[in-house]
Amino acid sequence: MIDAQLLISAVIFGLSIGAIFFLMAIGLSLCFGLMRIISLDQMLYYSLGAYITYSVSVASGSIALGVLGGMVVAGLASFAVERLILRRIYDRDIAFTMITSFGVLIGGVGVIKYFWGLVPRPVQIPLSSQVTIAGTEVPVYRLMLIAISLLVYGGLWLFLNRTIIGKAIRAGIESIEHVEGLGINVYRLFTVTFIIAGSLSGLAGGLYAPLIMVDPQMGLDVLAFVFMVVIIGGLGSIKGTLVSAFLVGQVVSLGSLIYAPLAQMAPFAVMLLILLIRPTGLYGTAFLKR
Amino acid sequence: MSATLVVKDLMVSYGESKVLFDIALTVDACQVVACVGRNGAGKTTLLKTIAGFLKPISGSVTSNDMSLVGRASYDVARMGIKYVPQDKKVFSDLTVRENLELGSYATHDYDWQRVTSYFPKLTTLMDRKAGYLSGGERQMLMIGRAILGSPKLLLIDEPTEGLAPSIVTQLKEVFRELSRKTALVIVEQNLPLVCAIAEKVYAIKDGRIVAELTDRDAIKPAVCERYL
Repeated sequence: MIDAQLLISAVIFGLSIGAIFFLMAIGLSLCFGLMRIISLDQMLYYSLGAYITYSVSVASGSIALGVLGGMVVAGLASFAVERLILRRIYDRDIAFTMITSFGVLIGGVGVIKYFWGLVPRPVQIPLSSQVTIAGTEVPVYRLMLIAISLLVYGGLWLFLNRTIIGKAIRAGIESIEHVEGLGINVYRLFTVTFIIAGSLSGLAGGLYAPLIMVDPQMGLDVLAFVFMVVIIGGLGSIKGTLVSAFLVGQVVSLGSLIYAPLAQMAPFAVMLLILLIRPTGLYGTAFLKR
Repeated sequence: MSATLVVKDLMVSYGESKVLFDIALTVDACQVVACVGRNGAGKTTLLKTIAGFLKPISGSVTSNDMSLVGRASYDVARMGIKYVPQDKKVFSDLTVRENLELGSYATHDYDWQRVTSYFPKLTTLMDRKAGYLSGGERQMLMIGRAILGSPKLLLIDEPTEGLAPSIVTQLKEVFRELSRKTALVIVEQNLPLVCAIAEKVYAIKDGRIVAELTDRDAIKPAVCERYL
């Protein structure tokens, strides 16, 4: 029988991991939904966000400033990659864009190694206080991560449903050709989407940095999980990505509580099970074909 | 005054497979032109090439002496040449209002009264998700979205396919009204409709224009049927 306090801790831990997964996966999901590319380079912006958070926090003593800096630099890096590389290959086969974005990721990891070296870097946790929930001590910082991810979800929902650019992005997820046919410059939509995606990946890296050791491979370490989140949620679905991220976070956390190796294996089993029942993922739709 | 659309010696291929050969056609301002032909003759390919979705191998496409070849399709649309595809695909996750907002966003034309005067039914459907519209309502929305910005040329692909006769009659009147200010190129298999509204008919067979009918007396279903 699992101890109740341990269970509550595991659930909070799972939700906080899910929050990070959501921030990373949302970019991947939006990029596939709109541009039909598998943007593995999002993992680079995640790492970059973490490293900038480390450097800025060491220099200024402010983690918040570091996270903000990480988000901005990740957004700028994603802008550069979109304009210089991806824009030239949107018309190519999906496998081609995936391999190219993987090349960007690997090349970017090399650049990170050049500037920051191979030694993992620690980032101090900004909030070490804890609160008691049902008799269990829970770190405030992990609760903050969950709250931030929900705020980002709300902000994205408002952006996509209340602004004309957001509506154009939603329309583009259904049919980019029809959006273009109306006279809307879709390449501008691609750039906006890619900057949002990169910035959120950078935010994820910056926020997660205090809970892990920042190292050059950190993006590659979570790649499989983030991919799983996108597939389980349904490509292009914001709501699906949120639900899926929290689901995978819980499976990882509770799985490790029951039997440690389950943390790695159980999410794959869940993904296969969901795809057997719903091949398009939880909230994916059949129209998302390339 | 230069023609609204001039296509000369147009050759188009999908990869190695050539689908259009030496296409030449002219559309004057406010003229209604129909393209008829069997399935696979190349009619849709022709419209998509004019609209900028496909790049020709050779030939020219000009509108009021400005070349359209090499322009992005959104740029062609901004020049006032709008393509209404045959798939009746509206943005199903968006409401009718949001669909029209996108048409207005691109053209800065927020005069929806003109759209609802052609299609009064859309007024009552504004807050409905477009995915729940019937085939006829979708076609109304697609044409309504396209006429925002007062385009000079509408390229309409199989507009009446699968629609009820009452909707077809309504569309016929709308096309007549639209042609007062806009040139229309309509790809259509519904010959009575074509013959009722078209001032010129191009018959396309195996990627080539095999006939050009300009005489009103020649534009009759029995004549056009020879090319189907």
